[in-house]
Amino acid sequence: MKQIIAMILAGGRVDELSVLTLYRPKAAVPFGGLYRVIDFPLSNLMHAGIENAGILSQYRSVSLINHIGSGTAWDMVGSQRGISILPPMQGTRRSDWYKGTADAVYQNMEYIESLDPEYVLILSGDHIYQMDYLRLLRFHQRVEADVTIAFVRVPGKGSERFGQGVIEEGSDREGGRLLRYVEKPSQSISPWASMTIYLFNRPALDFIMDEKMTPPSTEHFGRDIFPVLLEEKKVFGYRFEGSWAYTRTIDEYWEANMALLSEQPHIDPAAWGVRTNLDNERIRDRAPTIFHPDAHVRRSLIHSGCTIHGSVDNSILFPGCRIETGAVVENSILMYNTRVGEGAKVNGVIADVEAVAGAHSHVGWGESRGPNIEYPDLLRSGLTVVGRNTRIPPRYRIGRNSIIYPNKFENDFPEEQLDHGRTLK
Amino acid sequence: MKNIVAFLLAGGMGSRLNVLAWMRAKPAVPFGGIYRIIDFTLSNVMHSAISHVGILTQYRPHSLMSHIVSGEAWDFIGRSRGAKVLPPSTGINDSDWYLGTADAVAQNLDYPRQCGAEQVLVLSGDHIYHMDYQPMLAFHRERDADITIAMMHVPWSETRHFGVAKTDADGRIVLWQEKPEKAESNLASMGVYIFETSYLEKVLGQRDKHDFGHDVVPHACESGRVYAYPFDGYWADVGTLRAFWQSNMDILKSDSGLELARWCVRTNVEEAGLIGDRPPAFFSGSAAVSNSLISYGCRIEGSVVNSVLSPGVRVERGASVRDSVIMHDVRIERDANLFEVIADKRSRFGTGSIIGSGECGAANIRYPDHVSTGLTVVGKGALVPPGITLQRNTIIEPWVNEESYRDFAPQAGGYLARA
Repeated sequence: MKQIIAMILAGGRVDELSVLTLYRPKAAVPFGGLYRVIDFPLSNLMHAGIENAGILSQYRSVSLINHIGSGTAWDMVGSQRGISILPPMQGTRRSDWYKGTADAVYQNMEYIESLDPEYVLILSGDHIYQMDYLRLLRFHQRVEADVTIAFVRVPGKGSERFGQGVIEEGSDREGGRLLRYVEKPSQSISPWASMTIYLFNRPALDFIMDEKMTPPSTEHFGRDIFPVLLEEKKVFGYRFEGSWAYTRTIDEYWEANMALLSEQPHIDPAAWGVRTNLDNERIRDRAPTIFHPDAHVRRSLIHSGCTIHGSVDNSILFPGCRIETGAVVENSILMYNTRVGEGAKVNGVIADVEAVAGAHSHVGWGESRGPNIEYPDLLRSGLTVVGRNTRIPPRYRIGRNSIIYPNKFENDFPEEQLDHGRTLK
Repeated sequence: MKNIVAFLLAGGMGSRLNVLAWMRAKPAVPFGGIYRIIDFTLSNVMHSAISHVGILTQYRPHSLMSHIVSGEAWDFIGRSRGAKVLPPSTGINDSDWYLGTADAVAQNLDYPRQCGAEQVLVLSGDHIYHMDYQPMLAFHRERDADITIAMMHVPWSETRHFGVAKTDADGRIVLWQEKPEKAESNLASMGVYIFETSYLEKVLGQRDKHDFGHDVVPHACESGRVYAYPFDGYWADVGTLRAFWQSNMDILKSDSGLELARWCVRTNVEEAGLIGDRPPAFFSGSAAVSNSLISYGCRIEGSVVNSVLSPGVRVERGASVRDSVIMHDVRIERDANLFEVIADKRSRFGTGSIIGSGECGAANIRYPDHVSTGLTVVGKGALVPPGITLQRNTIIEPWVNEESYRDFAPQAGGYLARA
């Protein structure tokens, strides 16, 4: 389909994911034992037949560039198809770091103009959901909107972290005129939260870029553009009723992953036809996982290339993990090539790629006794986060709600143990 | 490496693999969860940095062709690299079905000529092993050989299935026996040959020699320089159901020498409908898994012991799978019990069915030579209805349905054809 292109906002670091986003943007965070977060919107695009996408990326792009590759994984190769990574650039005009969602699009209008679509779909690269964008497009066309914003119902606490919209109640169940829009309101105005999915008519987008962009005061669609656009253009709210998960915090990330372990998961990448790039992390070349005679596995997701000697319960293992004899892994997410040594215990842990728990170490030890001291808002539910390539020494103990930064080795750890709620930088 | 090309002989019917090879050439039979048999040889060629490979097909090549496609999975793409499927063809000079291994190569000698290859490596597409062909090539060149044959010691009881040779101290073959009744050596050919291209052109020019083992090598041992290159790693010819099953089981033995991960075997994971982006394997709270290979896309709610499972296999609650090889998308329903079963793709085992029951008993009634050691073999897409018991040595044809069972009386060595 040529009349619509997508621009994916994948620039953000998102502090709330702590060490998981030190080396990669949020969109490239591994998810569900195989995928990356951005696979969800990319697969949605593929299934909708939207064949051109620009990815606006600025923070630590290498991981994302590796993952996107040529775009083959999502069938976006060919003379009329393509994924382009659009990094910030210098030039005679419009050259700078991206300062916000609207600014990033503003700086890449040449890309949009070169493809000359009738519609531009702007997406965030960090939501987990399945959505038929064509249905959104049909709604947009039916109500003759200039701009349509998709909303999902997020009642109660936490909804004020999103843009909120008041959608006119009418005969159309799918949506209505957007009456009010407030970005991250201090007090909730509506249960409908923005999914950062914006569908623009070209004239409307051109109008915004030509008339409304007055840097540095206009940077974000949600904060700076939409509230004033409601008066001048036909802006509609689309009510999304499907499954959706947001992984902005460590707890949300862990819960969205763990949801995959239920018997009838509401997040179902296989049923949704989610694709990933099998060249990244050598997924395609790994041998199948072997469960040795001493292995015990329950309620878990395990991909290829793992070697399982110990016990794995209620956990998600990405390709290449190695669980040695007598090791016990519970309630944990272990990313690519994590190793859990002989007799080690790992409970409630998110381990980034290549992390090692030494023999007889105990990570996530004891009960949760209050939040992380340095980052109480980030980590308070008892999880422990281990950065990539960190090696926890043999027989070492690490309490709950702790954060270990990447690339920490035996000598970086304090003697004896790391207490509850500590952060090792 | 441009001065050598590889020919991979992948045309065989594999009739002893019975129902597994009814719809596909033997090298295309699935193996080790995610692989096909030919992947082992193709990966060896890739790891040996040989950049041209011709795959000689004849019998039911479709699975094989859709598997190999451009050869990209094994890095055979680029302007000076390539994997070519070479089927039999008609033409002015050479037009015929391949009459044997040597004949297939003889009809395709243009390929090494075009590549300017001084040597031709001839391989079989149905062996499970890991080998770097470069040291063998160096051995061949050092000795200025016409033919070098990779050989390994096999148990004396097995020699009658192989070409065997006696050599001198330098490895030159002084005596060759093809599948002898009474062997004078247990040094056996693995079906891996390096030929001087010029020598092949000379001896195959007349097209009167059809088979390497029977015709070319015995003749060459008398008139040419033929050497044996010693090999002592894991090697298995998986041409029989028993050997196919055993080699799959060897994956699960830590000391067998068959190490998929270390061998870096590659396969085409993007083959249509095969693997794609299947999710990680899911294990429910009731799962019990031990000593098994379980591929992605499986859903395990029952018990799996000593078994090899390809992607997409579903083992429901209460079901038990032991000592079995289960291919893609097989469904094993509640309380079904499988022991020593080879189940081809998309077969289905109904609730409470019992497969591989009882003592080993009589060999298969239709194919006593193929199935006699207790295995039960279930063809592609076949159904085993709920509650049915299948005794050992039973063969179920592909696509057997409910109706086929109307007059079926389970017995050891039973055979069920499609109605």
